[in-house]
Amino acid sequence: MDRRGRILLIVALIALGFALVAGRLVYLQVIDRADLAARAERQQQRVVKLESKRGTIFDRQERELAVSLEVESVYGVPSDMENPRQMAQQLSRILREDPKTLERRLSSDKHFVWISRKVEPGRAAKVKDLGSKDVGFRFESRRFYPKKALAGPVLGFTGMDNEGLEGLERTYDKELRGVNGWVLAEKDAVGRTVFPGGPGFQYRLPKAGNDIVLTIDEVIQHIADRELERAVTTARAKGGVCIVMDPGTGELLALSVASAHGRPAFNPNEPQQYRSGEWRNRGVTDVFEPGSIFKVVLAAAALEEKVVHPLEKIDCSAGSIKVADRVISDAHRNGVLTFTDVIADSSNVGTIKVALRLGKERFARYITAFGFGQKTGVDIPGEIPGLLKDRRLWSGVSIGSIAIGQEIGVTPIQMAAAYGVLANGGMLMKPYLVSRIVAQDGGAGKKFTPQPVGRAISKETCAKMSRMLQRVVATGTGKQAKPTGYSAAGKTGTAQKIDTLTGLYSKKEYVSSFVGFVPASSPKLVILVMVDTPEGDIYGGIVAAPVFRAVAEQSLAYLQVAPDDAGGGMLLVNR
Amino acid sequence: MQTRTGDIGSFVFERGNRGSLRRVLAVLVIVAALLLYVGGKVKIVQLGYQIEALEKEKRDLERENRALRIEAASLSSPARIEEIALKRLGMVRIAKENLIVVKQQPKAAQRAK
Repeated sequence: MDRRGRILLIVALIALGFALVAGRLVYLQVIDRADLAARAERQQQRVVKLESKRGTIFDRQERELAVSLEVESVYGVPSDMENPRQMAQQLSRILREDPKTLERRLSSDKHFVWISRKVEPGRAAKVKDLGSKDVGFRFESRRFYPKKALAGPVLGFTGMDNEGLEGLERTYDKELRGVNGWVLAEKDAVGRTVFPGGPGFQYRLPKAGNDIVLTIDEVIQHIADRELERAVTTARAKGGVCIVMDPGTGELLALSVASAHGRPAFNPNEPQQYRSGEWRNRGVTDVFEPGSIFKVVLAAAALEEKVVHPLEKIDCSAGSIKVADRVISDAHRNGVLTFTDVIADSSNVGTIKVALRLGKERFARYITAFGFGQKTGVDIPGEIPGLLKDRRLWSGVSIGSIAIGQEIGVTPIQMAAAYGVLANGGMLMKPYLVSRIVAQDGGAGKKFTPQPVGRAISKETCAKMSRMLQRVVATGTGKQAKPTGYSAAGKTGTAQKIDTLTGLYSKKEYVSSFVGFVPASSPKLVILVMVDTPEGDIYGGIVAAPVFRAVAEQSLAYLQVAPDDAGGGMLLVNR
Repeated sequence: MQTRTGDIGSFVFERGNRGSLRRVLAVLVIVAALLLYVGGKVKIVQLGYQIEALEKEKRDLERENRALRIEAASLSSPARIEEIALKRLGMVRIAKENLIVVKQQPKAAQRAK
């Protein structure tokens, strides 16, 4: 072949090569385009979830009580694992998981198993130090309660998937949760994510959960928690409740629930360490026969209806009174007492005599006006309405029993709200825990304002009741409730519990309580203290009244409420 | 046609080779345009990597910020502060004997003095 021929042959071969490549390109990019594009999309594109941040819960001074934080969860790839047993042993020491359970999971043929979710940062770091390629990490949101047990039963807790399970976390789950977002991203050959941007970029931004500001004050809550726990421990009791409420608005500044003596206070950071009864908010879920603290309802009703005067003398010298087929006695013999002293000394006889004058129709009406027999509407899950018989079903003895706080079941929150009526001039206010919801997306949010339920009694009756209840603290059964520097009004209660075996009133188990308001001259706080089944001393004036005093003194000092009664060693200087 | 090695310029600019020059220039322009196009795509991917890295850094910083807020909240808890005050600093609660209540007289009474 001559030279020209060889050149033409080489050119032809090169042209043929290019034609084959071009043809292949046409086949891939035109004919097979749709199928290849779909496969590429499946391999390269993925939907990246953008987790929304759960809202923060603050106290009334905007101090954090519940916050979410991303922490690492540990997962394993069992299908690639060479020695699952050894890996399980190493991981169980760090993560405090059962080694046998871990080994079982890591021995499976799955490509992904959770080893431990939402671990503490220190433990995650130790797992990383193992340097295993078969163990990976993924960030997940975890809820933290930095104040530990403070207001634990009020806050509640969340589950593994950040859903509210108890307390305010559950009641306001929808507001706190937010909405997850997503973005359609691409990943390269080594799995790095590339956000494409530009037209056609598909995404939905996450909507952060709303924050919630409570009416609870962290400091007053701590005071209530501490004093109540001390009393429950000293009395070796089964538990207790302490409520601090603003009587004018219904705002709850503290709602303390103490676990049984010997049990730690509920810490929502570790709910699995507690029995379900220990995270229950007994302030709203439990009912108890209030005993003598309920006498204020009868007294207020009788004064309002003018069937008795505070200074009217009532003969209690018999020491007992028969109502229908039941004989009810006084704890100790009294003589002839004024009605004020009937309440101050907690005479059952005197109280029942006045109740019989009032009559069950009117008495039942006032019991309802004070909020008993119905839920208060406070924003905690599990509230019950208490136990109140319809007056048409009252037996002959009911009026006497109910007047002294038996044959009726009340919740602590109902009792606190009822004393709020006496403290604020006669209005029943709805107790509430959330002050406002703060929207994160520039939205309007929501503010909660005081809600009056209805007028129970007049201001004049309130003034009379206040004087009577101050007498309880000054000279009556509530002397140990008197806070230094402040006037106080309140009532003691020592209520027998029902023996669940016999169905009769127990001679050994009591509920000791004190409820009142301070300062009596211009009430700022209603404080309820209830101690369940104390051992040894059982009287409300001995077990619960000192808690009232301690909480009142410290809370009023913290709130910078000026003392209105400078007796008892305090120096009062006029400048 | 004779080719002269080392003298491409004069070869190209010789009258008979202007058609070839145009063809070479056209190819160069097309190649440049293609390079610009591909380069742009590569730049977008690189910027995407940078965005992802910055997003990660932002998330890490936000995470650290939240962790510090939680730690600050925990350190300022009333129970902890009280324990430090009582046990480490030896502070005591105020006794009623130490309380002096100073009642301020109304301004009118002060002026009268």
